[in-house]
Amino acid sequence: MRSPLRDKLARTLAAFGLALAAVLPAASVQAKDLLTLRVGTVEALDSLNPFNTALNVGYEVFTLNYDLLVNFGPNNEPVPGFADTWTQSADQLSWTFHIRDGMKWSDGVPATSADVVYTYNLELDGTKNDGVVGLGYLDPYLKDAFVTGVTAPDPSTVVITSSRPTSKLTHSYIPIVPQHIWKNVTPANISDFENKVPVVGTGPYQAVESTSQYVRLVRNASYWGKQGAADEIVIQYYPSAPDTMVAAFKNNELDYIHNPSPESFNQLKTAKNTVALASEGDGFTQLNYNTYTKGGGASTTALQDPAFRQALGYAIDKPTLIQKVLLSYGSPGTTQVPPWEKNWHVDPTDVRAFNIDKANQMLDAAGYPRGSDGTRIDKQGKPLNLRLYTPNTDASYPKDAQFIQGWFGQVGIKVSAQVLDEGTLVTDEALDSTKPIKTQLNYDMVIWGWVGDPDPNALLQILLTSSIGSTSDSQWSNPQYDQLYDQQNQAATDAERKTYMTQMQQILYDQAPYDILYYDNNLDAYHTDKFAGWQNQPVEGGAPFFQDGSINYTLLTDATKATPAPSTAANAEPSTGSSSGPAASVAPAPAPTDTASTGSPLLLVLGIVAIAVLLVGFLMITRRRRVSAAEDDE
Amino acid sequence: MTAPAVPEQSVRNERLRLRLQSIRSFARRFASRPDGVIGVIVLLVFTVLAIAPEVFVGPLQTATSASGPSLSPPTAANLLGSDELGRDILNLTIHGTRISMVIGLLATIVTIFLGALVGIVSGYVGGRVDTVLMRITDFFLVLPTFVLALILAPIILDIVGADSEFFGIRVTLLVIVVVIGVTSWASTARIIRSQALSVKELAFVGRARVIGSGPRHIMWRHILPNVMNLIVANTVLVFGGSILTETTLSFIGLGDPFAPSWGQVLNAAESAGAMGLGAWWYVVPPSVCIVLVVLAFTLVGSALDDVLNPRLRIRR
Amino acid sequence: MGSRYLIRKVVGACLTIFMIVILNFVLFRMMPGSPDRILLRNPNVTADAMAAARIRWGLDKPLIPDQLVDYLEATASGDLGFSFKFHGEAVTDVLSGRLWPTVILFGVGEVLAIFLGLALGAYSGWKRGGPIDYIGNGLSLILYSMPYFVIGILILGVFAVGLHWFPTSGMLTIGGGDGTFTSQLLDFFGHLALPVTTVAIGLIGQYSILMRSSVIETLGEDYVTTARGKGLTSSRILRSHALPNALLPAVTLIAINLGYVIGGAITVEVVFNWPGLGTLTVTALEARDYPVLQGIFLLLSVSVVLANLVADLIYGRLDPRVRS
Repeated sequence: MRSPLRDKLARTLAAFGLALAAVLPAASVQAKDLLTLRVGTVEALDSLNPFNTALNVGYEVFTLNYDLLVNFGPNNEPVPGFADTWTQSADQLSWTFHIRDGMKWSDGVPATSADVVYTYNLELDGTKNDGVVGLGYLDPYLKDAFVTGVTAPDPSTVVITSSRPTSKLTHSYIPIVPQHIWKNVTPANISDFENKVPVVGTGPYQAVESTSQYVRLVRNASYWGKQGAADEIVIQYYPSAPDTMVAAFKNNELDYIHNPSPESFNQLKTAKNTVALASEGDGFTQLNYNTYTKGGGASTTALQDPAFRQALGYAIDKPTLIQKVLLSYGSPGTTQVPPWEKNWHVDPTDVRAFNIDKANQMLDAAGYPRGSDGTRIDKQGKPLNLRLYTPNTDASYPKDAQFIQGWFGQVGIKVSAQVLDEGTLVTDEALDSTKPIKTQLNYDMVIWGWVGDPDPNALLQILLTSSIGSTSDSQWSNPQYDQLYDQQNQAATDAERKTYMTQMQQILYDQAPYDILYYDNNLDAYHTDKFAGWQNQPVEGGAPFFQDGSINYTLLTDATKATPAPSTAANAEPSTGSSSGPAASVAPAPAPTDTASTGSPLLLVLGIVAIAVLLVGFLMITRRRRVSAAEDDE
Repeated sequence: MTAPAVPEQSVRNERLRLRLQSIRSFARRFASRPDGVIGVIVLLVFTVLAIAPEVFVGPLQTATSASGPSLSPPTAANLLGSDELGRDILNLTIHGTRISMVIGLLATIVTIFLGALVGIVSGYVGGRVDTVLMRITDFFLVLPTFVLALILAPIILDIVGADSEFFGIRVTLLVIVVVIGVTSWASTARIIRSQALSVKELAFVGRARVIGSGPRHIMWRHILPNVMNLIVANTVLVFGGSILTETTLSFIGLGDPFAPSWGQVLNAAESAGAMGLGAWWYVVPPSVCIVLVVLAFTLVGSALDDVLNPRLRIRR
Repeated sequence: MGSRYLIRKVVGACLTIFMIVILNFVLFRMMPGSPDRILLRNPNVTADAMAAARIRWGLDKPLIPDQLVDYLEATASGDLGFSFKFHGEAVTDVLSGRLWPTVILFGVGEVLAIFLGLALGAYSGWKRGGPIDYIGNGLSLILYSMPYFVIGILILGVFAVGLHWFPTSGMLTIGGGDGTFTSQLLDFFGHLALPVTTVAIGLIGQYSILMRSSVIETLGEDYVTTARGKGLTSSRILRSHALPNALLPAVTLIAINLGYVIGGAITVEVVFNWPGLGTLTVTALEARDYPVLQGIFLLLSVSVVLANLVADLIYGRLDPRVRS
């Protein structure tokens, strides 16, 4: 009578066995003796393909997998990467790079100049007719350097020519990828190329396993540089659970965490065996105004008036924002080039300090009188009720919005704040020239942020007139600013470049299409009892990881061993390629081959368990049947 | 048709008397259920808090008006501690009552309205209409409502526009109301349809039809009053469920950070890392409120159910 | 089993699945922000590149019939498209990696909850009015009123953060060598313990309440009185009458509640960073990764429909009245 239920139970149990077998990785007899560095971050890796990632964690992973032609050093200076030496020609229009002799990809194939030519040509071909390569984030490194050609006279020499003198080639973020693996990848199909594990590169660690929860990288035994102490690196993602990430760190399940909440970070500062580092970041959080002058959905023309925007600037108490929202982990914002970019940042003159009275006076003077209810009216006689949107990506934005709402209220401007999802907001902010303007740009103010590159171009070009439709979230247009951008980009020397850049920063500050609220700190914490040898980048005021390049991963040592591992080999000239690591090196490439044989004991045990459970169930059921039979007899 | 005035008057009086009597007996029977009475008391307390939170804790604290230190444990000044911006948790929780209850109330109204409408029409009209309506109902019944809600929320926000307000309620909150309503009316419709089916067969409905009453009139005057008991009991249960759904949606991040409901407070606690910091005072008050209110609704609901529909037990 | 009943149910389920497929298409075309937006807010993307991407995704074609036909064809052949967030990865691959963890978490949680809930409910109903009944029923009601994530946060706070008894998050300790089979299994169960407890606690309430009322009902039936008169012990009556009678509604409850349970699942997985469909839903939602969301919705809806179908069929087989 009840047999279907019982069958179902049996089937369910069998399904569990199968399910368990599906989630457990192939078991082996090998004991857990690898030294693993576990890193937690709130971002989830979007792609192993360096050309398809838009995230910090993506850059971290690809600089572990691959070398750049010239790597970033402890202070972001050029240090040997895929090339070990380089010279610029006398006419400054060509660079010659020498590729390290005897270097091999992690699968054993020799790494030569042909790989550089392949990679750079991929970029050059892809960007030829205003195209993009993948997501396009790596395109400016050759485009802005005016590169015209890449040649390989011999396997260890690469010559790169450019139409203008450039210093940007030694700061290029383009990873050199193996031609023998990537040979069928073209700019047309690169967006679909996943770059599956095991990744083959020349970097210090190679990704061998990648899921939507973590990526696992093992040490590259044939790496030319210093071998890091960690046998493997696991980067785990906590995109919707920052609290859980901190809990895991405290529980020693993670050795390093990047960007916990400021509140958690505060507490970690006093934790045992823990270093909590707040470091200056290469980015900012801004309040941007919709200044578009040719129609669109802004609720008032006042936003197009620089005097109005400047006046609002006096109604923002940046020190309080930083203290309350960031718990003081940040510095007041001024220009679009963060102080982190030391060589390029210039403090503007006439800095606006918080002063409600002054803001009120300026608004009166600019022609925005208060109406009968105390709300100011714009020049068309419309009460100023501004919409302030923030994306749902960061818990600090709504807090900023609450403060701004309060302060703007004090100068007679109503603010209705709203959190929108990132996708909606980004579509809202980007002008689509193929659609009627009437229905677009439905926002007044937005609080959001940007993160830059070591090169300031990335942050300078956000507000170019030509960026309207892509990055310009203020729809601001200033011909002088556009011209200065081109001039600085074509400048032959850094000094000349900086004079143009100084003007650009002052213009943006004065015109205030952006009010840069603050430069957020990066918050990092790590345990010191498992690994030692932590280095910061930049050495002064930086943090170990999530900076530029992967050099700090190789400098770690095993903290449990008395003497810091093979430090003698550390700085030796990496001529032969492999220096001996502290523990047995793990070959990355041929990892999961024997799944079938190692997986079988697991299935066997699960089968036994399932049979045992079924047996017990059967016994119970037959017993019950006997009982009910007995009852029927009675 | 002419009817003498006096008898009609007396009929009306008689009806009134009967109704009063039934209310009295209902009250007596309900009062004999201590769990239901406790539930009603709890709900009354929260209703008072929802109507006038300012009386108890002053106006809603915002980032600029916050007075306390960041993440302070309970002190004399902040009886239930403070959040990371220094806002008083007691203040947020009490003000959250209004938002949670209002969302719950509106969502319940939408749910019950849709459910009762579909249920009565389907049950009374029958035939092809019934088949189609029940097909749709079954469809909504099997949809994973929560996932559907997650998907619907941004769509509705896009359609109505993010910055509009209806009757002083922020549209982001209304989105949650609509989402809950759209995804949870189906079971109500099912229950009411079955009752409507049996009421339809009763003699007086047939008589009404014979004297030429239209279907709309019959559904409104005869069917509705007779399924009212079911609607009332169901309303209470749906109310509790709506508050739970709102809480969960807000926790996932689909709420409105500028209008702190209980779920929103818990979401803020999560992103500030409250549990990892041991800031229990940030998590416990809104959680206790949620449990109390939902529990109260469940108690009242089951008591009402027993009293009003002794033979018809609703299982959710 | 009556074949007409069977056919009607199966046809109904197929119809529902078809409606879900259509709804899936409509819903996701209505969602704000089109797929090409991932190229926005990117300084290097030109108008030409945008146009090329739109063509690649088939967004340049008219919605009906071209896009609808493409979609139906693809869905029928098991192709759910490509994830926006995990660039280029097939949605089916993304989903299949996340399916088993959810199945295990909720399978084990459900089984635990059913056993404990039914036991608690049966005992409460049997000893109606006793202290165990008051405590048990009260507890069930409180658990029933608690959102899953609140239970999860509390459990996480106490047993992982406070006492360090269990790992806080994830499903396995990643890396550190493959380990022996036993160490892996122990590691897995260690990670499973807290989330599965949360799921079980969240579900116990409703099963217990259901079982209690069923037992009380059964104990009032005539044949039980007869059985008692024959001198059968209460425990036998319970086992042979009340339990089977309550199991049936429990099965349907599982099927009907599957949709609700999945909602709770999402939050439990988020709290414990469990790598299942729940965390995937939230990640996909935050990134507005529509193809993945679409896939999740389809997968979950179809499984709920199938679960309901199975429950209907079991019911129909057990209770002949249903068939007429």
